[in-house]
Amino acid sequence: MVIQIILLCGLVIFSVLAILLKDLIKAALSLAVASLLLGIIFFRLAAPYAGVFEISVVAGLITVLFILTIALTKKGDEVTEARLVKLAFPVFLILFLVIDGLVMKSLLQKIPALPSGPETGTFGQVLWKQRTFDLVAQVGVILAGVLAVLALFRKKEEDRDE
Amino acid sequence: MVFSFIVMPLLVAAFLPLIGKFSKKLLPDVLTNAALAFLVFNSILLVKPVFNQGFIVQNLHWLGEKVNLQVALDAFNLFMLFTISLVSLCISLFSIDYLEHYGHKSTFYALFLVMIAGMNGLVLVPDLFSVYLFLEVAAVASYALVAFGLGYDELEASFKYLMLSVVASAFALLSITVIFGMTGSLNFQAVAQGLQDLEARLVLGVCVAFFIMGFGLKAALVPFHAWLPDAHPSAPAPISAMLSGLLIKVSGIYALFRIVYSVIGITPALSRLLMALGTISMVVAALLALGQKDIKRMLAYSSISQVGYIVLGLALGTPLGIAGALFHLFNHAVAKGLLFLNSGSIQHITGTRNLEELGGLGKMVPVTAGTNLVGALSIAGVPPLAGFWSKLIIIMALVQAREFGYALVAILASILTLWYYLLIQRQAFFGRVAEKWLQVREAPFWMSAANVVLALVCVLAGIFFTPIFKTWISPAAEALARGIQQVLMWGL
Repeated sequence: MVIQIILLCGLVIFSVLAILLKDLIKAALSLAVASLLLGIIFFRLAAPYAGVFEISVVAGLITVLFILTIALTKKGDEVTEARLVKLAFPVFLILFLVIDGLVMKSLLQKIPALPSGPETGTFGQVLWKQRTFDLVAQVGVILAGVLAVLALFRKKEEDRDE
Repeated sequence: MVFSFIVMPLLVAAFLPLIGKFSKKLLPDVLTNAALAFLVFNSILLVKPVFNQGFIVQNLHWLGEKVNLQVALDAFNLFMLFTISLVSLCISLFSIDYLEHYGHKSTFYALFLVMIAGMNGLVLVPDLFSVYLFLEVAAVASYALVAFGLGYDELEASFKYLMLSVVASAFALLSITVIFGMTGSLNFQAVAQGLQDLEARLVLGVCVAFFIMGFGLKAALVPFHAWLPDAHPSAPAPISAMLSGLLIKVSGIYALFRIVYSVIGITPALSRLLMALGTISMVVAALLALGQKDIKRMLAYSSISQVGYIVLGLALGTPLGIAGALFHLFNHAVAKGLLFLNSGSIQHITGTRNLEELGGLGKMVPVTAGTNLVGALSIAGVPPLAGFWSKLIIIMALVQAREFGYALVAILASILTLWYYLLIQRQAFFGRVAEKWLQVREAPFWMSAANVVLALVCVLAGIFFTPIFKTWISPAAEALARGIQQVLMWGL
């Protein structure tokens, strides 16, 4: 239980950091850590499927895409945020926490319980034996992301030379 | 053989950037078109086995051991695969000449093929989460393709599209998560079976609402349509054709109706709701299209309106309604593909898409004008073109089901459609030739060739309507009309 609470607190802290940090690389890494923690929580709750999706898609794939894109943008491209935006996030966070505390418990009770037993299988089994197609699709998403970066950060001058 | 629809475009796409290093134009052109021609051929080859057996379920084996890669093919998704392959082949033929001024052909083609692999994957997988993943594959590629021109408008449209599309994906994913929570499975068959045994109508209702929001946004149904009139006109012409012709139908309509019919099972209330959404889209978008001056923007609104027809027919749920809607889906994919490519030709020839600046082009560029007329009349529903038959069947199905109100609205919307397409014809191609267009020449060979091929498909599908409908559309409609029984038959 204590480990669970520590993990959950870590998840919230790193998620908030991902939004508040100014340095984009640090923000992307915080997001990766947050989803890694979420993945671990899923595993501990006997939901390896969800854990596999979370760690492979969000912590792995999306972080790579973020860092790749950030690496390709130049310095001096920073966008200054309006004050209102800075205020909006904490307000929404508090609002969300209040709604979460009031509503979620009763809503979750309405969803019927799983008819089947909890999922079984190690990370490797789930990823390679049961969800193989998702890997193909992820290859597709990574390929699309890399090609998108190639297309959007190409030099326009080269086009004219051709 | 079925896996080649996903694997082949991905493989070619992976190598294209490397090939582009030493052959900037020829090899990327040849490879892309050859790959797509192979897919068209492959989908024709699959017709016989699928129609004989009713469906094909394939598992991939690697070194003698079964790998958990499974695809399921029935008449409905084979119909979709053929439509995707045929229209994208014509679009990639058009791109040979059109992309000359953009450069970086290999990157463009690679993204184009990834988008096709995503759509094919979405159509083939019998698993809810895989549907979501392939939806994202196609979507990520399309964001980059919309912004391919790198101009301010393109980037802005791409960003808007990205933001709304992410919201759509989130709704779909949320619904998939809840269904997984209820049934403990993601596989179509197990979910369909699980939901039958479950008494959870309220939660299931919420799931369906999320699916409608998510896939409705992807299909740009009114009131979820705001992104489309910006995104589609801003993209390069081949991508506009791809998005309006195929992507909104595959990631919106196919995904929604495959799940609603084959996994969840349609109810009368859901049918009424979807029919209402379809009708609103049909009318509102047709009215909005009337006021547009930019050809591509008008075509984009027209896409929303025609998607309304397809949704109306599919939601009606009778075999005739579904068949009409599927035939209209094919006709719209071909004709709207043609019209967007054609608008690319017009922009290539004149440098503008503004209807007020154009005029009298028919005499100067007869091939472009002629093919535009065929596409426009087909969508507007003028006999004997293919669009006439599909609209007629939808209206007949509505009358047969005693939905006279909907039938009347469909006829009126069809008249509106004819009106705004005649506006394009009058303003762009008829009348006196403005002096500045006296020197214009016909679009390059491959651009005109792609237009002519698509126009021919519109004409031939209209003339040979009866055999096409009997042998091809009806089995696809029956596969969908069978509801969850279809998926239970697969034995996944």
